[in-house]
Amino acid sequence: MSTTRAKPKKPTLKVTPSSRVLNVSTSGVLRVNHSSTYARSINASVSRKSFSLAADSKILDKSSVQTPKHTVQVFDENGKDVTPQPLYQPDPAAVMSKHSKIFASDTSGGTMSDFYSTAYQTTTNASFAGPFTRSVFGSSTVSRGSQSTMESMNEEIEDPSSKRDISISLSDVQVRREEVKELIKEEMLDDVVDRYLIESETLWLLHMPAVSVSVDSEEAVSVKERNNLYMELCKNRMGNDKYVERSMQTFNGAPKTKEVQSEAITMVDAATTATTWDMYDSFRSAGLGEAALSPDTDKASVPEIVSNHRLDPTRAPERTMSVISTTSIASASSSRIEMEPFVVPSEDEPDPELVLQSEKFQQDLFVMERIILENIYQPKLAAYRQLPTLEDPDSVPKVVPTVVSRREESSLDEESTLTPALERLWSFSCELTSGHNVSSMAWNKRNPDLLAVGYGQFDFKDQKSGLICCWSLKNPTWPERVFTCESGVTTLDFSASNASQLAVGMHDGSIATYNVESREKTPVIDSSDCAHKHTSPVWQVRWIDHERGASGEDKGETLISVSADGRISKWFLRKGLDCIDLMKLKRTRNEKAKKQVGDKEKKSEALISRQAPGLCFDFHPTDSNIYLAGTEEGHIHKCSCSYNEQFLETYIAHKGPLYRITWSPFCSDVFLSCSSDWTIQLWRQDLFTPVLGFTSTQSAVYDVMWSPKWATVFGAVNEGRVEIWDLGASILDPTIVSLASPGVKLTSLLFATETDCILVGDSDGQVGVYQLKNLTVGEGTQVAALEDIIGSTLASQL
Amino acid sequence: VTVLIHHCILYKKAEVEETLKRIQGQKGVQGIIIVNAEGIPIKTTLDNSSTVQYAGLIHQLVMKARSTVRDIDPQNDLTFLRVRSKKNEIMIAPDKDYFLIVIQNPSD
Repeated sequence: MSTTRAKPKKPTLKVTPSSRVLNVSTSGVLRVNHSSTYARSINASVSRKSFSLAADSKILDKSSVQTPKHTVQVFDENGKDVTPQPLYQPDPAAVMSKHSKIFASDTSGGTMSDFYSTAYQTTTNASFAGPFTRSVFGSSTVSRGSQSTMESMNEEIEDPSSKRDISISLSDVQVRREEVKELIKEEMLDDVVDRYLIESETLWLLHMPAVSVSVDSEEAVSVKERNNLYMELCKNRMGNDKYVERSMQTFNGAPKTKEVQSEAITMVDAATTATTWDMYDSFRSAGLGEAALSPDTDKASVPEIVSNHRLDPTRAPERTMSVISTTSIASASSSRIEMEPFVVPSEDEPDPELVLQSEKFQQDLFVMERIILENIYQPKLAAYRQLPTLEDPDSVPKVVPTVVSRREESSLDEESTLTPALERLWSFSCELTSGHNVSSMAWNKRNPDLLAVGYGQFDFKDQKSGLICCWSLKNPTWPERVFTCESGVTTLDFSASNASQLAVGMHDGSIATYNVESREKTPVIDSSDCAHKHTSPVWQVRWIDHERGASGEDKGETLISVSADGRISKWFLRKGLDCIDLMKLKRTRNEKAKKQVGDKEKKSEALISRQAPGLCFDFHPTDSNIYLAGTEEGHIHKCSCSYNEQFLETYIAHKGPLYRITWSPFCSDVFLSCSSDWTIQLWRQDLFTPVLGFTSTQSAVYDVMWSPKWATVFGAVNEGRVEIWDLGASILDPTIVSLASPGVKLTSLLFATETDCILVGDSDGQVGVYQLKNLTVGEGTQVAALEDIIGSTLASQL
Repeated sequence: VTVLIHHCILYKKAEVEETLKRIQGQKGVQGIIIVNAEGIPIKTTLDNSSTVQYAGLIHQLVMKARSTVRDIDPQNDLTFLRVRSKKNEIMIAPDKDYFLIVIQNPSD
């Protein structure tokens, strides 16, 4: 007897009495079925535990796992058994013993009978391990429409089992199967074996919570209410404002193709080179407003300086950028307003006319002219300056007279082969001066290249307007300055202290000073307002530097003039040019040396005036108090500034008007005089007769001048020729003679101070520059040489 | 005062003209060209094609020369440029507003 009791190993849980509950929990299909099985299921309420309401199924669900399984059979309307087949059909024989154990754990409602037990067992077997035994007992358990409790039991039993999850049991089954197998022996086959049936856990295969509520449940009321409400709502929905059907339609805009066309963006490549000077200029222009001119001022705060030279509009492609750069610089620099005036000029287009008239242009023209002339005159100028002339390597070789340096000829052996000569280099002349007689020439004391030439007639007849031209050595074709005077210029002299001041004496007796630096055409000062001005032609003016002022006079330079009205005047500036007389040249007789002022003159001759016209004078080179004056009578008076009444000495030898007196620059006792009596006299101041007399031609000697370099050399110009006398060579004949062009009279002579050249002015307005060539002067000190000559001459005269 | 200024301008213009004439008349001078800042000749004594050619070429040369001088020392500036060639010499006086170009053959 195998009593199979289903021991509830697991605590039976609450067995809900309400099988209805279980009913409801099934599916709709099941519901139908279960309604049929409802009556039968009361007994198996325990088994129904597996069917639990969704509402309070929580505990039930858990418990249902442990509730005994009762196969539930599902029948449809026709009574057909549609019980779902278990998923798993285990091998019945193999697990039979096992199942018994399992079922021992199941609790049962005690509805097990022996009859049932086997069936139950089997069914539970089948249900529990549903798949295991189903096939075997399916037929037995499946009963059609039978209302037997057994059937119901089967059904009940089956159902839960069918729904049970057998996963756990499977594992148990398998484990136990093995255990059981070992123990089975022959002897044990007949033993009574106890089998215990236990309810296993509920295996959920599918759980679909119900959406329907049982009428008897607690919630039924609320659910019903809600249902009613909903029904009401649905009814009311039709015309209710709360629920309005509304439809929306969005407009789809019609797509439109739109085209845009733009002008091609012109691209311009701009490039610039940032050179050192460009940056310097930019810094300068940026810093000009702040008076910062150094290139290394920290203008790093002006980062947008376009590297363009703002003040250089000569670069055409970058001109457009100049505007940009100016604005950027202006905006960056603090002094914007100050920048404005700098911006404007650079943007103006320089008018071509303005260009031509600008100062700079004139300056450039001036320089250009000189350069061109230098190209032309280069050999001549080089000769003048005693530089070796350069042969132009590309020029066609012409016959160029070789210029031999002087040093080569210093040896006496070669003297015979090369005769001293005057070589004409060039002449200062232009159309302005043609026709004017050169009356005087003077070098500028500061700039030895600047020459002032006065043009004026000597004779009282055919007087033209005078002309003064300042010539520069660099431009022999056009004077640097041209001053026109009313009357002929007879004399001029540059001041030593004020190198640009030129004193001019004129034929009408007026004296004027010009400032040659300025471009003014008028004299600085004129003596025409002076009360004591000369009434006759001023024959010589000179600036004399007094070392010691006599009788309270100022030291410094004063202008001394001698005029044909017989006065030697000293001029000074005191509210205008004013003069005082240094000396009145009185007529003297040959016999008498001096005459007292105030003594009445013997009226041995019918004299027109008591004054003798003074023609020349010369101050002593070292003692500025002593001076010599030459008169028209032919007398030479030695005077002193301290005595304005008397002469110190008188030298009488010449028979005609003295044109020139000049002290020797080397021997302070010796002086030369030349006159229109065709003679040149050499005097020593302590002798009242000339030491030497030089006569070469029968024409008046207009000018004589000592050479500044050699004590024994002097030059003289008479009407037709230039003569260079070298007393060391010969005292009888001039060493060099150069004839003038026919029809032209040579009127003045000037030695160049630094070179071996002489300037000869003629009556045609030309000043010729000649170079003394091959003039060798004897060795030894110059002074000694001259004195030797004089001494020897004197000795020979004795 | 305006009359005086006008007079001065006229006088200056006359002086300029005179000087140009003198230069033109100097020995060996082949031509004078005055070019403005952009390289356009203002005044010339040569024919047009030569003038334009000279102006263009010399412009570039002067720019280069000036750039060279100033690169070495930015405080320095070019004052005169002489180009001596076999046949003649080109003398250029550059300025920011103009170029003065004289072509001379001194051995003429």
